[in-house]
Amino acid sequence: MSTANHVLTIQTKNQPVVLERLLQVTRYRGFEVAGMEMKPMADFSGLLVTLSIVSDKPISLLTNQLNKLYDIEYLDCVESQQTQAEAGSMRA
Amino acid sequence: MKGAELVIKLLEQKGVEHIFGYPGGAIMPIYDALYQSKVKHYLCRHEQGGAFSAIGYARSSGKVGVCMATSGPGATNLITSLADALLDSVPLVAITGQVSQAVMGTDAFQEVDVLGLSLAVTKHSFMVTDVTELEHTLNEAFELAMSGRPGPVLVDIPKDVQLAEVQFKPRLVEDADTAQQEFLPTVALEQARLLIQNAKRPIAYIGGGVHMADAVSQLQDFLAQSPMPSVTTLKAMGTVPPSNPYYLGMLGMHGTQAANLAVQQCDLLICLGARFDDRVTGKLAAFAPDAKVIHIDIDPAELHKLRHAECAMLGDLRQLLPAMSVPTHCEDWLKHCLSMKQQHGWRYDHPGERIFAPLMLKQLSERMPDNAVVCCDVGQHQMWVAQHMSFSHPRNHLSSGGLGTMGFGLPAAIGAQLARPKDTVLAVSGDGSFMMNVQELGTIKRFRLPVKIVIVDNQRLGMVKQWQELFFNERYSETDLSDNPDFVSLAAAFAIPGHSISRKDEVLPALEAMFTWPGPYLLHVRIDETDNVWPLVPPGAANQDMLTEKAQ
Ligand SMILES: Cc1ncc(C[n+]2csc(CCOP(=O)(O)OP(=O)(O)O)c2C)c(N)n1
Ligand SMILES: [Mg+2]
Repeated sequence: MSTANHVLTIQTKNQPVVLERLLQVTRYRGFEVAGMEMKPMADFSGLLVTLSIVSDKPISLLTNQLNKLYDIEYLDCVESQQTQAEAGSMRA
Repeated sequence: MKGAELVIKLLEQKGVEHIFGYPGGAIMPIYDALYQSKVKHYLCRHEQGGAFSAIGYARSSGKVGVCMATSGPGATNLITSLADALLDSVPLVAITGQVSQAVMGTDAFQEVDVLGLSLAVTKHSFMVTDVTELEHTLNEAFELAMSGRPGPVLVDIPKDVQLAEVQFKPRLVEDADTAQQEFLPTVALEQARLLIQNAKRPIAYIGGGVHMADAVSQLQDFLAQSPMPSVTTLKAMGTVPPSNPYYLGMLGMHGTQAANLAVQQCDLLICLGARFDDRVTGKLAAFAPDAKVIHIDIDPAELHKLRHAECAMLGDLRQLLPAMSVPTHCEDWLKHCLSMKQQHGWRYDHPGERIFAPLMLKQLSERMPDNAVVCCDVGQHQMWVAQHMSFSHPRNHLSSGGLGTMGFGLPAAIGAQLARPKDTVLAVSGDGSFMMNVQELGTIKRFRLPVKIVIVDNQRLGMVKQWQELFFNERYSETDLSDNPDFVSLAAAFAIPGHSISRKDEVLPALEAMFTWPGPYLLHVRIDETDNVWPLVPPGAANQDMLTEKAQ
C-alpha cells in the first residue's frame, strides 16, 4: 500500500449503514483506503468520517460519486501535500 | 392506524394506481392493508417479473413504478430488476417486508440483509426502524426516485413497524411544482454557442437523459434552430423523429455505419444526457478523436468521467437547450452526412424464402398502430429492433440498455400495457430471453392484457453464438436451444392464441391476424440460426472499424 495522497473529511447523517456506503462506493470506483477514522458529532446529529485515499486517478471521480450519496451532508477534500488553506470545499 | 395501513394510504395519497408484487410472511400486514384498497395490485409470478413490470410502467409513462416483495427470497428476487433500473435511470420504489426487529440479526426465517444487498443496486435505500419515520421515509423515497437522475429506491420495513400504531392524516397531494428557474451557467453557455457556431462538423449525441428530463421538444427545437446531424443511444431512440433527414440512427457496437462514421469524423460532439458507455464508444481513446466535446447532464459524476469535455454543463436540458441554440455553419458536412446515410442504407433484399428478421421487424414497424410500445428482450433480436423499427417517442421503445437483462421484455410489456391501456403493446423476445420470465404469461392471462408477443426464434442464444462464431473459433459452447418448447402450445396453456411462421410470404398475413385479434397473442417466428447482426464493432476496436456482412 502506498501513502495516501488525499484526505477526505466527510460529515454524514447519523445512519448505521453510512460507513458501508462510503466504503462500497470507494472500493467500487477503484480507490484505495489507506486510513479511516469515524466519530459521532458532539450532538450525535451525524458522523464525522476522515478517509485517507490512495489513487493515481483524479480524485474528483470519487468525490463526485460520494457527493451524490443521500446520507452525505458535507465533503471536503485536501491533497496531502497541500496545506489546509489552499484547498477549498468540494461540496457543491 | 397501523404502519401497514399507512403505507397503502400514502400510496393512495400519492396517486399511485398500479403496483406489482408478490406476498409472503414478512409483508403480510401490508398485503392485508391492500385488501380492498383503491390501489390496484397486479400479482406477478416472480418478483423479478413484478419489478420489471414496474419498470415497464415507469418507462412507458414517465411516472414512478412501484413494486413490493416479502423478506428473504422475495427481496433477493428483486435485485436484478433494481440493478436494471439503476443502470437505465428508471424511477422505481421497491417496498420490502423484513423480519421483526426483535429477531433481526439472528438469521431468522427468511431473513436476509436486504439493506446491505441493496447498496450496489439502488440510488438509495432505507430501513425504517420506527413507525413514526415511515411517512417521511416513503415520501423521501418517491422524491429521490424521480429527482435529479432518476433511479430505484428501496424501503425495507420490518414487520413490527408494519404492525405498530401510528397517526396519519391524509393530506391533499401538494403538487410539488419544483420547476424553479435554475441559475444558468452563462459563461459555459456562451462558450457552447461559440463552439457550435464555429464548428465545421458538429453532431448531437443524444442519450436517455433528454426524454427523462422531459426535453424532447426542446431537443427538436434545438436541432431545428441549430441544424446538425444527430445520433442516439439505444435508450434515446425516438427522441429525434425518423423524418429528420439528418438523423443518422443509433451509434455504437451495432449502430448504423453512417452514425458511427459521422461521430468519428466530427469536430464537435454535443453529448446530451448520455454517458460515453463502452457499447457506444468502442475503443474509448479512439472515439470521436478530432472532436471537442460539449457535455450536458443532470448527474455531476458523469461530466468528465470517461471523456474530458471542453465545455461541461450541469443542469436541466429544458433550460439549457434553448439557451444554446445558435445558427450552425456546416452545409457541406450536412450534405456529406446525408450521402453517407444513403450510401450505407439498410438492405432488405435477402434471398430465399426463409424469414429475414430485419425485414420482418421493418414490416412489423410499418404495420403497428401509431404510438405502439415495443418492449424488447436482449440479444440479436434486440439489436434488430433498434436497427429496423422506428419510434416516435422514446417511451415507445423499452429495451434493457445498461444491464442488458434477458427476461426484461415480457414483464415490461405487462407494465406498459397497464400504464397505457389504449395503446398497442408488443413484446419482441428471443427464444432464450422469453423463457427467462415466461411465468408472467400467468399475469397476462389473469388480467387479460392484450399484449402482442413476437418470438424471434433462432433456436440459439444467438448473440452469444455470434461472438463464438466470430471471436471463439466457432466453438459453440452451450448456446444451442434446438430443443425449445412448442411456444404456441405453451401460450395455449395460458389461453393465449398463437401462430407459428417460417416463410417470408407468411409474415404479412400473420401480422394482420395478430393486430386484428383483440386479446393477447403470440406470434412465433422461426428464423435461420446462422443469421447475424451487422454491422458490428469488434471488442476493443474503434467505431470506424465495423465489420459488415460482406466483409465476412
Ligand atoms: C440474464 C442474462 N443472462 C445472460 C446474458 C448474456 N446474453 C446476452 S444475449 C444472450 C442470448 C439471448 O438469446 P435470445 O433471447 O434467444 O436472443 P437472440 O440473441 O437469439 O436473438 C445471452 C445469453 C444476458 N444478457 N442476460
Ligand atoms: Mg435466440
